[in-house]
Formats: sequence, C-alpha cells, structure tokens
Amino acid sequence: MNTNYKASLPRKVYLSGADCFHLVLDKHARKHGAGGNVMRKVFYFNKALSADKVIAILQGSPVIYWLCNITLKPGNLFGIPYWKYSDMGRNILLHHHKEDIEKAIPQKILERDINVHAERFIEADLVSYPSGCCAFILSWNHILLDAKGTNLLFEHLDKMAANRETRLDTYFPAKQKGTGMLAYIRNMYKVKSFIQHSSRKPVSSIATVNCKSSAGIVKYRNIHFNSTESEKINSNAVQTGSRFGPTLFFIACCAKVIYHYNKKNNKKGDIWLPVPYDGRMKGATGPLISNCVSFLFYRLPESALTDIHLTVKSLSAQMTAQVKDNIPKRYSMFLNMMRHVPLWLYYFLISRTGEGTFASFLYTSTGDNFKELKSLFGEPLSGMALIPALTYPPGFTFVFMKHESGLSIEIAYSPEVIDWNDLLLIEQNLRDTLFFEY
Amino acid sequence: MDPDIIIEELKKYIETNILSEEVRINADSNLQQAGIDSFSTVEIILFIERRFGVMIPDEKLVPENFRTLKALSLVVQEMLN
Repeated sequence: MNTNYKASLPRKVYLSGADCFHLVLDKHARKHGAGGNVMRKVFYFNKALSADKVIAILQGSPVIYWLCNITLKPGNLFGIPYWKYSDMGRNILLHHHKEDIEKAIPQKILERDINVHAERFIEADLVSYPSGCCAFILSWNHILLDAKGTNLLFEHLDKMAANRETRLDTYFPAKQKGTGMLAYIRNMYKVKSFIQHSSRKPVSSIATVNCKSSAGIVKYRNIHFNSTESEKINSNAVQTGSRFGPTLFFIACCAKVIYHYNKKNNKKGDIWLPVPYDGRMKGATGPLISNCVSFLFYRLPESALTDIHLTVKSLSAQMTAQVKDNIPKRYSMFLNMMRHVPLWLYYFLISRTGEGTFASFLYTSTGDNFKELKSLFGEPLSGMALIPALTYPPGFTFVFMKHESGLSIEIAYSPEVIDWNDLLLIEQNLRDTLFFEY
Repeated sequence: MDPDIIIEELKKYIETNILSEEVRINADSNLQQAGIDSFSTVEIILFIERRFGVMIPDEKLVPENFRTLKALSLVVQEMLN
C-alpha cells in the first residue's frame, strides 16, 4: 500500500460513550495500581516469522499509523474528549525478545504501560522460542479498541499481507446522530434506577476496596480445552438450559465457582455481574476504532446459585427482561451522555455507586470473534491468547475465547486478591462445573 | 397465515433491527452464520410474541428451530394453528 492515505486519515475522532467509560476505568486502574487498561493479544506460530515482513505489513497499515500519531484531547467544558490525529511521522516499533520457556510471555511486555499520554497507543513484540516457534504480541490501550475491533484489525493486517483491498472508510466511527434532550433525560432516569436496583448492597465481591493493590502486579493463568472437551462443555450448556449458545452456561459456571469461594471466606451477598455486549449491528465490518460495547447486568442471589440449572434459568430470565426493556441500548445512550461530564466528576459518580467495587468478579468473552481467524500476516496460526486488562477491585477476570473448535479461558488476577493455592482451587472447581454430568 | 408472509415479516425485522446493512438473508440462510447470537435470538422471540401474538414454548426453543427463517416460520405457523 502506498502512503497517500496519511493525509486522508480522520483528523478528529470523538470518543464513544464506552471509550469514555474505559477512560474512567484507566483512571481507576492507575489509582489502585492494577497495571492500567492495557490489552494484549498473543498469536503463536509453529515457525519463525520474518521480522522484516512483519514490520513492513505493520508500517504499511493506515490504521496502525493513525494509532501511532494521535493524542487525546479532553474537550472543552462539557465537550466530548476526542483523538487528534496529526501526521507526526511516527511508525510502530517491533520489539524483539528471546524467551527460554515455550509460549511464555516476557515479563517486560506484561509490565509495559500504555497510558493516555503514551507516544504510541499500540506496541508490537516478536518473541522467539528455543524450538524455532515464535509469538507475535500486540498491546494497546483498551480505550481505542474492543474485541470486535481487534478482530477487524487482525483481518485487516491479514488482508494487507495478501495485498487484498481493505476498506478504510468503515474503520473509523461514523458521526453519531443527536438525541433529543427529553429522550436523554427519560433514558437517564430509567437507566439510573435500573443500575441502582441491580447493584444494590449486599454484593459479594471477591476483593474488598480497602485491599489496595500497591505493586500493580497482574498474573495470568490459561486453561485450554481440546475439541472433544469443548464439545462436552457445549453439550452441558444445552443440558442446563443455555439454549442459544453456551454464554449463559459459562457465566453460570464462573458465578458458581466465585460464590463457593466467597462462601468459604465468609463473604456474604449476591453476585453482581456486568457482562459486555457488542453493540454493533450483527455482521458489521466496522467501526474498527472505538469501543461499541454496552452491558447486560446480572444479579444472582444465593437461591439461584445452589443449582446450575437454576443459575442458567435466572440469567436467561434476566437477559429476556433486559432485552424487553432495551437496557443495552439505553445504557449505551447513558454512556454517550456521560461523555459530557468532566472526567473527575464521572469517576466520582461511577466509583461512588458500588463504593469502589465494579463487580463481584468480571466475565468477558470474545464470542465468535476469533473463532475463524486462522492466519495472520498470511501465516497459519498455531494458537492464540487474549491477556485482558485487570480492573481492581474486583481484581479477578475470566476471559472465554473460542478458536477453531477449542475453548480457552484466560484468568487474570491480582495476587493480593487470590493466592496461588486459591487460584488452583478455583480452576479445579471451574473444570468440575464445566464437565459435570448434568 | 401463509408461511411466506411469516418469512417476509421475520426477514424485514431482522434485517432492519439486528443485521448490518451489508448482510442480507433469505429463507434458507443460516442465521447464526449471518451473525445472530443468543441476545439477538431473544429479540426475535420477543418480536414474534408482539407481532404474531404467540409464545414459543420451551421445548420449541432449540437451535434447529432458529437455524433458518424457514424453520422459524414453521414453528410460528404451528403455534398459530
């Protein structure tokens, strides 16, 4: 691709409501030393990649170039924050590493911060292993891309490797239509009531707010299931009443495990769980830049956690009620309105509601986003992992990801919240719950 | 009700409210491959309740009945009868 695109890239891109929410989460993460709102995607290859080829593709991408040449502008009083692009000639850098342990990710990458004042909002690393295999790792600040956007970015890079055409016009968010003030106010009232009701005390969080993570250490644990195991899990999802995909079964299993863990530690209260939901129209090829997520909010009392069928039933009923009430769209509208609120006030309002706790634990899923991604840079993939940002408290996140016919779960945790033995206990309980003969 | 009319109404609802403009479906398209997820399925079930005045019973809420518009229209027709 030639470099004529540089002048035609958008000069100003306003943050979406979900982007601003991530800006607040970033502030929260830094306040609690949890490592910042940085996401990392790891791609494994069964051979060494040519660094020259990789850097040529990365540096030829207009989207990557845009991400390396933007600065965050806060907006005027009650104005919406925006990204300002100016052609500063900054290209993405590819950092090289050698790692002795197969598939391990260098600590340097895990500790690298990409904050809102960073020179580049995206960083690339190539890790070589003794077997001759390698891993390509892309790290970015979550304020800029969500799971679907990331998938679109990798599809874009793969197309670039094959010299196939990519559609720049769909990558950046279109200008949003305005909403009448009356509709905004009505919506604010409804959403505020719903959230307050849904998040009311007592909530049984895995961590307490007082337990401040000072070191900012985040640890990760990956659980991978082969295709036979994944089929068994899917079959259990159907058996327990999760009829249209296994998502509700996954959430139920995680909630059950955390409930038992909290019970063991005498932490009482309901499980409260916001679950992100992709707000794009289905099958959309954009936008790539900006978060388009909304949330579904689930509250599970002890009575719904005694049996997995009951948990799935409760989740299903809550999902139906929220679809009926249009909660995800209303919540998106709410987040869009909150963009006008100064960051300090926004942070105060958000952290006040749950007294600093954002959820009992966090659950997220990449859905089918990466299921079909078989190659990157034109080379076949042997595996992948998503390393999430960790919001603290609760300081404990499950990420479910499907790739081809296998399921993998990445657990991100703060060692101050859960020690190694407890983590192994949680992992075993999760396996037992996923594989139980229902 | 004629199954073709049911298919047309479902198609119009799904294309307008759920799918991106660039995704078009017909009676035999695989809805999951078109992008319909569990959340969207609930939206479709609620639309059927509103538009056709029928509730789909639990035993009919199986992936096979939601695979295509044709399969879904047969369920709606059965409930109407």
